[in-house]
Amino acid sequence: MLDLENVHKNYGKVTALDGLNITISKGEIFGFVGPNGAGKTTAMKIISGLLLPDSGRVKVAGVDALKENHVLKEKIGYIPDFFGVYDNLKVNEYMEFFGSIYGMEGEKAKKLSLELLELVNLSDKAEQYVDHLSRGMKQKLCLARSLLHNPELLILDEPASGLDPRARYEMKEILKNLRQLGKTILISSHILPELAQMCTNIGVIDKGKMVMTGTVDHIFHEMESANPLVIRFTRNHERALEILKENPLADNIAIRNKSISITFKGNEEEEARLLSTFIQEGVMVSSFTREEGSLESLFMQITAKEEAEFT
Amino acid sequence: MKINPVYKKELKISVRTVKMAFIIFFYNLLLAIIGLFAFYLSFEESAMYGGIDYSNMLSIYTTIAVLEICLVLFIVPGFTSSSITGERERQTLEILLTTKLKPIEIVLGKLGSSISSLLLLVFSSLPILAISFAVGGIRFIDLLQLMLLAIVIAVFIGSIGIFFSTIARKTTSATVFTYGTVIALILGTAAIVFAAYLLISFKMGKQYASVGVYNPPDVGNLILILLVNPIVTMIAMITDQFGNYSEFSKILSEYGKGNSTIIENWFAVSVILQLVLSAVFILGAAKFLNPLRKRRRGNSKE
Repeated sequence: MLDLENVHKNYGKVTALDGLNITISKGEIFGFVGPNGAGKTTAMKIISGLLLPDSGRVKVAGVDALKENHVLKEKIGYIPDFFGVYDNLKVNEYMEFFGSIYGMEGEKAKKLSLELLELVNLSDKAEQYVDHLSRGMKQKLCLARSLLHNPELLILDEPASGLDPRARYEMKEILKNLRQLGKTILISSHILPELAQMCTNIGVIDKGKMVMTGTVDHIFHEMESANPLVIRFTRNHERALEILKENPLADNIAIRNKSISITFKGNEEEEARLLSTFIQEGVMVSSFTREEGSLESLFMQITAKEEAEFT
Repeated sequence: MKINPVYKKELKISVRTVKMAFIIFFYNLLLAIIGLFAFYLSFEESAMYGGIDYSNMLSIYTTIAVLEICLVLFIVPGFTSSSITGERERQTLEILLTTKLKPIEIVLGKLGSSISSLLLLVFSSLPILAISFAVGGIRFIDLLQLMLLAIVIAVFIGSIGIFFSTIARKTTSATVFTYGTVIALILGTAAIVFAAYLLISFKMGKQYASVGVYNPPDVGNLILILLVNPIVTMIAMITDQFGNYSEFSKILSEYGKGNSTIIENWFAVSVILQLVLSAVFILGAAKFLNPLRKRRRGNSKE
């Protein structure tokens, strides 16, 4: 559905995108994660036909986004990170205005507008002025507007930013419904756990490059191995320390009271082998667990690693 | 027939506001006060001196026509210079640009709605303009010609307003640039011709002192710069309507002997030139509005 190949974009001397590659299949909800200034908005604007890259290829639903801009606009629905609404229009007038852009007039436009407003739970606000809507409602209206021409790819730039928890939950549920309706969704956010709950795939972008990409399960697996291993001892922890220092997979050894925290880059089998070594060497282990981690911690580790490589 | 969606939306928003009703009311009030005052002066003052000079009645039409054109010159920049910057400031422009709308459709929709609002003003003032009919001397065709000129000037100035609204980031800058350009067209072109005339006069004076032969100063085809001056176009139209066109061409030729065909058909050439320039400004605005136009340097960042 979406293919970005080696896309570069510079603003003067500042590099916004440095050979970005993204591939999204039909029906995916792709979470686009990255710190401020990583290049998320630039990438989304290029995909939406709002910005020209310096080099690279962009294909949306088989359409060359850079050459067939007019066709591209029928394939995408774009929701920017701000509420682009006309305050002096009523909700239904706002929908009808955008409907008329796609050639929908009269009863057909009214019917479709109402259906979409119903989909985003705004049908009871149809006669209200947009100005009177809350932030969350305006965002939902933007989403309904973007669906008017039945686009194949929805591009949502930080749709949950500034929304209260309830509005965020509602937005998440609407996006899940849209996925069931067969829409492909590209969504950027800083709220990583929420992305994990609704996305099928996640891509981490930093300094204009994709630093990690994969399914949510893959990302969580990476997260698991990135989280510290915490081992609690009842006896002979000096010997435990010696064993850990000798193990090439153990790093960042930190002693906390009777427990030791390490970064262990091994898989489950290697973890089991380490535990067995402790027991054979007479070290009494009372607990051996991976610390609870989050997508944020992984994100911080990935981007910090990139920072270290960069400097 | 499919109506431009931007035009339809803009018109809907502007026409239903109280602001529009106030603009129509005060515009007509001003025209009526001035028109009636001129009417009163023509009748009462002339009566005091033992009779009414009906040729004075034409001054009522002139006054109203001048006022009408000046109001167009004054109001249109205000209507159009905020049209695109307003979308940008409201952060709705990017959304419009990701829809099926082409940049030229956005520009034409915005210009069309501004012109329509102005047409509403112009046509609402027709009953006041009809004061001139009370005595005679003005034909209905003259009134239509005045309307045509008002529309052409509105399109010309409006396209300048839209152009600056597209290239400026803020409404304030767009408004300043548009009014600046309007002033340059009206006073600047006249000042250029006058300055050139003075320079040539000075040169001729020196030549007369040394050689003893005096050639009247002539700015030549530079006089044609006044074709883009809406006030001069209006003067050409009114003098022609009153049968005094020779006076107008005589005054022009005192400054410069430009192309005689153009001077004889000043109104038509001026109107066509202003429409051509309007098209250039509109196409330029559409080009600037296209997000995928090639830029020499990027100017926005995430």
